[in-house]
This record gives sequence, C-alpha cells and structure tokens, in this order.
Amino acid sequence: MKAAFSPYLLEVRPALRELIRLLRRDYDYVSVLASDTAGLSVCISQRAKSVSGQTIAVERGVVVRVYKNGQYAEYAFNDFDPRDPAAKARELRGALEAQLALLKAAGVKPYETPVLPDEPQTLFVEKEAGTLPEDADVQAVVEKLGALSDRGMSLNENALDCMINAESTHVCKMFLTEKRDLCQSYVYSVGAVLMILNREGNTQVAYDSVSGLCGTELFDRIGDKLEAVAALGADLLGAGRIEPGEYEIITSPEVSGLIAHEAFGHGVEMDMFVKNRALGADYLGQRVGSELCTMHEGALCAEDVSAYAFDDEGTLAGDVTEIDRGILKTGVCDALSALRLGVRPTGNGKRENFEHKAYARMTHTMFDSGEDSLEDMIASVRDGFLLEGIESGMEDPKHWGIQCIVKLGREIKDGKLTGRTVAPIIMTGYVPELLGSISMASPHRESFGSGYCGKGHKELVKVADGGPYLKMKARLG
Amino acid sequence: MLEKITGILKASGVYAWEVSDVKKQGWEFYFIRHALDQHRAKNVEHINVKVYQLTDDGQSLGFASAELAPTATDAEAEKLVNDLAYRATLVKNRPYALNVPAGEMPGTGAPSDLAAISGDFIRTMAELRETESEDVNSYEIFVSDVTRRLVTSTGIDETERYPSSMIEVVVNARRDGHEIEVYRSYKSGTCDAQALKRDLERAMQYGRDRLRAVPTPLTGQFDVLFSGSDACQIYRFFVARMDAQMVFRKISPWAIGEAICEDFQGDRVTIAALRELDNSPANHGFDPEGALIRDTVLLEDGVAKHFLGSRMFAGYLGLTDAFLPSNIAVSGGTHSEEELRAGQYLEVVEFSDFHIAPMTGDIFGEIRLGFWHDGDKCIPVSGGSLSGSMDDCIGSMRMSRSQTQYDSMRIPSLTRLKGVTVTGAEK
Repeated sequence: MKAAFSPYLLEVRPALRELIRLLRRDYDYVSVLASDTAGLSVCISQRAKSVSGQTIAVERGVVVRVYKNGQYAEYAFNDFDPRDPAAKARELRGALEAQLALLKAAGVKPYETPVLPDEPQTLFVEKEAGTLPEDADVQAVVEKLGALSDRGMSLNENALDCMINAESTHVCKMFLTEKRDLCQSYVYSVGAVLMILNREGNTQVAYDSVSGLCGTELFDRIGDKLEAVAALGADLLGAGRIEPGEYEIITSPEVSGLIAHEAFGHGVEMDMFVKNRALGADYLGQRVGSELCTMHEGALCAEDVSAYAFDDEGTLAGDVTEIDRGILKTGVCDALSALRLGVRPTGNGKRENFEHKAYARMTHTMFDSGEDSLEDMIASVRDGFLLEGIESGMEDPKHWGIQCIVKLGREIKDGKLTGRTVAPIIMTGYVPELLGSISMASPHRESFGSGYCGKGHKELVKVADGGPYLKMKARLG
Repeated sequence: MLEKITGILKASGVYAWEVSDVKKQGWEFYFIRHALDQHRAKNVEHINVKVYQLTDDGQSLGFASAELAPTATDAEAEKLVNDLAYRATLVKNRPYALNVPAGEMPGTGAPSDLAAISGDFIRTMAELRETESEDVNSYEIFVSDVTRRLVTSTGIDETERYPSSMIEVVVNARRDGHEIEVYRSYKSGTCDAQALKRDLERAMQYGRDRLRAVPTPLTGQFDVLFSGSDACQIYRFFVARMDAQMVFRKISPWAIGEAICEDFQGDRVTIAALRELDNSPANHGFDPEGALIRDTVLLEDGVAKHFLGSRMFAGYLGLTDAFLPSNIAVSGGTHSEEELRAGQYLEVVEFSDFHIAPMTGDIFGEIRLGFWHDGDKCIPVSGGSLSGSMDDCIGSMRMSRSQTQYDSMRIPSLTRLKGVTVTGAEK
C-alpha cells in the first residue's frame, strides 16, 4: 500500500503558501519545509518494557528560510495557526530583525551568498509500505517482541537480559516556495536485538539489527538475528585482548560500512569544503584508494532508512559516485554550499528536525562489491583478523585519520580461522592508506540502517551504510 | 494546549498520567571565520504525554508515551490519550510508586535575555587573540530561554525557567602549508567569556603542538594522564555504574556500603550529584519525572553510598529518594599536579572520540594529540590509540586535588590511569 501523505500538511498548505506570499514582500527568497511525522517505538526486555509514539524523527513543525542582502536566515516554529499567516509573518520578521540589530551593533559582516534558484517544480510521492506505524497492531508487536526476548534468553546461559527494540517512522514532508510544491511520504523501520551477558564478572554486549524502507512488517525479521547474537555473545565472553599492531584484516559488510561512513562519508560533506575543513577538497581527481575501492552515496543508493524523494532543502534525491576505482570524484552537497562552491547540490541537505539547520549530510554510504569469495579472502590471509560488529566510529576529514571501534575479531592464521577471538578492537589509520590497501572484495553487499550519525558531536540524523566483505591492512589495538 | 490535554487526561479514567511541557525560544548564529553564514531563531513547544495503567490485580504497571503537537485538534488530543490508555495496558512491568510533590522545589527562574547572552558570545569570539598562524575557522552559537513545566496526576505542578547555551568552535593552526584543526564545544547557562577565551587559546596552542607532533612511538602498557574534558568520560563511567537501572539489570556489580574495588592502590573517588553548579546548563530543581534533585553523595572514598536513577528502576531497588542526576562533582584526589606529572607517562589532550563503554568498562580513543613525558623530555605525539578496561584501572587511578568544571561536571583537573594499552602509530 501507499504510505498516505499527511492530511494536516495538506490542510495547512494554502496558509503556508499565503505566508510565503506575505514574506516575499520583504525577502528575495522564501521557502517553507513543513513536517508531520508519526512513529512507533517498542522496547521489550526481561526486566522492563515500554511503548512510545516517539522516535527521533517524530515531529510536527515548520521552518521558513528567507534571503535578503546576501544573507540567509531561518525561523522555526510549531504553533502555526492557518487562520492567521499574517501574524506568523510579523513574528518571523520581528525575531529576525532583532537578531540583525544585534549583529549590526556587533559589526558582524555576512558571508555573502547568491540567492537560491526557484524553478517551477511539483512532486507528490507516496512510497510503498506494508503497515504504517500509526496503524500497527501494538498488542501483536508487544507479544512478538516478548516472545523473541524469551527465546533469546534461552539461547545463551550467560544472558542477563535480551532487549528487543522495534521502531517505525512515517515521514511526511512538504517543501514549498513561490514556484515549487514538493510532497513526500515514506516509512522506514528498524529492529534490533541487544543481549547483555555476564560470565564470572566479565560483562559483554552483543548486538545486531535489521532496517529497511518499509513498515512494521520489518519486525518479522528481527527474530532472524537471535541465534547470531547469542553466538556473538558467546564469542565475546571467550575473547581475549588483541596484541596491538598492523594486521591483514577482512571487514564484514557492517564494518566496511562503518569505514565508508567515517572515511569518505564525512570527509566529502561539502559544507566542510566551504569552511576549508576537509582535505578531500584538495584531492578531487586524485587517487585515495585502490582499484577495488568504489563508493556511492545518496538517498537513491539503497532502500533503507534515508531513501527520501527530496532532501530538507527541496533538492531531489541523488546517487553520487564519490570514489570511482580509487579516484575521488566528488562529494555530497547541500544547497547553500553548492551555491558557494559553484556546483550542483546532490540532495544531501538534511536537518535533525525542523528546528535545526540544514547541513550536508550522508544518506546511504556504500562500497561497491567485488568478485572474491569470502573463503578465498580468508585463505589469502597469513596473519590477521576477520572483523565483525561495530561499536562506534569517528571522522577526521581535515587530516584523514579514522577511528573505528569493532566488536570482535576472529583470528586468521595461514589462511584459516583458528577459532580464537579478540575483543574489543580499536582500528585506527590514515584513510588513503587504509583504502589503498583494499585488495579483495566479495560479491555480497549489505546496508545497515540502525544507527544515527552526528555532525561533530550533535545534529543526529538517520543514515545507513554498508558494503561487501573487504580485505585490507589496518592498525589494530 | 496544556489545559486541554490535562482536562482530557483527568476525564479519561487512566490510572495515572504525566505531562511535560517544554517551551523554548532560541537564537542561533553560524559563522565561517567571523562572517555570518546564517542566523536562525526558533519558538517551539514540546508537550510529552505519558499514561500509566495498573492491572486490576495490581500486579503490573504499564506506561505509554507520545508527543502531542501544539497544533493538535481536540479530536487528535482525544485520540492520543485513548491510544496511550490502551497501549499502556499492553506493557506489563512490575509496579512501582510514582513521584508525588516533594514540597521543597526551588522557585521559577527569570526570563533569559537572548540578545544579551548572544551578544556576549559574539563579542567574546570577535575579541579572541588570533595570529597569522592560529585562528578561528568557524563557530556556531546557540542560546535558548527554556521554560519547563511538569504536571502529573499525583499533584506535581512545577515550572522552572533557565538559560541554556552552547557554542561549537573549530580553530586552525598552520605551518609550512600544513594546517591542523582543533574542535571544541561548550555547554553552559550563559557566556563565561574568560573561560571560553582561555580554553580556545589553549586549543590554538594544541594546534601548534600538533603541527610538530611525531607519530606516537609507544606500544605497550603505560600510565596515561588526562588533563582535559575527556576525563569526564572516566567519571561518567562511575555515575553509570551507580545508576539504579544498571544495578537492577545486574550490569553494575556495585553494592551500597561496599567498596567498588578490593585493593585500592591509588585514590578513592568521591562523587556527588548537585542541584546547582556554577553556570551549568543543567541546574534543575526537579528531574524529568518530577523527583526533587538534592545534593547527594553517590560514592564516598570509593564506597557506594546512594544509587540514583529513574523512578521505575529506583523503585525496584526500594529507593525512595532517587532522581536522575544532572550536575556531577568529583573529588577524592590526594595529589598535587606536580606529583601526577612526575615520571614516565603519556598525556593525551586531544582524542578523536574518547569513549568508555558503561556496560563493559572498555576504554577506546584515537590519539590526536598527546605528550610523551619522560623526565625532562616532553614530546608531542599524534596517531595510534588507547584501549583497556576501566575495571582494571579503578584501583590504581590517581587524581589531583585541584578541580576543573566542564559543562555540568566538576572533576579533578588531572586524572592518571595506570596500565592503559597504547597502540602507537610509528611505522
């Protein structure tokens, strides 16, 4: 079925159009992004249970962007009265003019930027979804997750608890200018198994997830992860510490995705080019990885949690080849950075929610697959590890450092898995060296959308990333 | 809208309910160098509704929650309450007591002057001492006037108003065509101009140091000294282990009245939750569930004194005076800074992301800038990582008597951990 577009947004659309008309008297450009997003979040464990209508993206609100004298400004609110758009126009002008008075008194100059184009465009997209979060049978979901938690507990005698999380979010967004009218409705869902284990004082956390551009029917796939999580938990409890050093590694698709995200996800967000905060700006057209390294970014790259039709600035979704057989081709760009850099926006202008500024952000960041079987990859390793599961990562676009925290390493000696495991692992290195060392890639490719991405240490948005199994060299500690 | 939703809740016949209403007026300014990228203002309200249902036999207490848009119609508000009333019956948790009025709440605060606070930040950044080789790359200023009200069916009706600010700054240092960036973010009530200038000038110094840093040459186990805000992660680990949820879930092995370590060779940490900390962005009289925030000692000389946490898990542990802490103060250090800076040690002042996993105690961090101290030698180093286990470090941890405040935490200025694994970056 189609994910129906928000009746609320359709109802306020004429009044928001009137708000734009009123503001255009004072500003050279006016756009409105209005959101009405619903959600469902259920968390069941042995010790606590909760149901909420809240996910990180649930919101109903409006942000207006205006432009005058080379300067952009925004006003966000969630109390719009469609009977009186003139009052909101007065409120907006009052707030922004008070800010300008302060800036003038402080002698602040604008970072002058051209005005955004406003070519006529209409779009009305309702993507397919099975069951919307607002229509879900919550009782059935609670019972299903409860049964999964019970089954998870039975799979590992050291389990302290088995938490099952399920979230579904129905996003409805409307982007309006004088000449543009874009509406989209889509649903994404995420499910996760988190098992807490303890043996003789050693506490470990095993985790796996599913995600996709779909409704709550995704929750049926959470159970597929139970056995693997229980087995991972056992491996973590038995793991030793790694001897620090440089190793040959094979990254699982999830770890490959983390590398993609941290290496040339953040590294080519082009608002960082404007600020001269990314080394990538100086390396366009140059080699940053091996011939086996091709990376895509965009809302159209995967059917996962960020598969929108247009971004939060009204730019249509894209699919960018960031790295083509090792050569850095381009980055991902929001609309204002594109104006400043003289390039086309790529559909990557995203906001944490309507209250927040739009930045150049990732959507789905994916390594392309290769032709090597996992068996051949393992057989080719003399001394190294197969890395599985992720904890966190951190970017360093200015210096191309990378930090990836990996859950588990499976030792490989002379082409064979030895059965010895190590955990946890911190992988660090210099991005071009890491990507330049990619020597094998499997045909199997997956995306993972259970996580969130921050910009610096804030501005959380949903993203997915992934890739195939990759063989490379890295420093592990 | 608040009156409308509380009226619907009162008429709904649900067992109990809570409504949190947070109004925020915010001003934001984004700079590229010192030119204004854009300015933003916001005027928003977030109403969160939570409904509780007790089963007829009194054996289960469930809850469900959702946000109600300020623009919701009467029908939408009615539907939300009906949905929550039903969903709460599906959730079977062990019963626990809900918070009731504590009778000692502080008064409502005054409105914040957004223009004055914003102006202080803007002027402070303009006055920062920059040179040809060290300067500001970009910064973002966020200033809010927050009004927070909590109304519950048990009689709590409290309001507080306070300023909340945040500034994120990136500074650069360059030499011979090579440029370094250092990232900082600060949360506070209002602008502390002196502290901001002092720390940003230190950040520029770190940029200069990183330009001459060599790849970290060490691999093995070393003493590591933390002299910046990353040390807050160390103390957040202790606070997490004192959280009622962690205790109830048996993730934290700590018990009231017992030492958290069998064999202390170093300092014994004392940690308190405080209602007020100077210019903290988290000076709250009551927590999100309406519990009174009191000055409370969590750990004293390495012995667990009080667990804190949400009402649900605190209730399961039989705690009647628990709350979700906001400000944290750490003491217990017995050493002068000179004593902690003696001998061989690696001082790490910049990480890409220093992290201690609260459940496992695992330590991670990529070194962006450190100093290898060996007698009179002090070598700036960069690259490689730290790893280890906080559980292995508790007994030998040493702290300075001097203290420094970062956002909502006041901690020892120096913290020295023994036997941390360093993976160097030298080829």
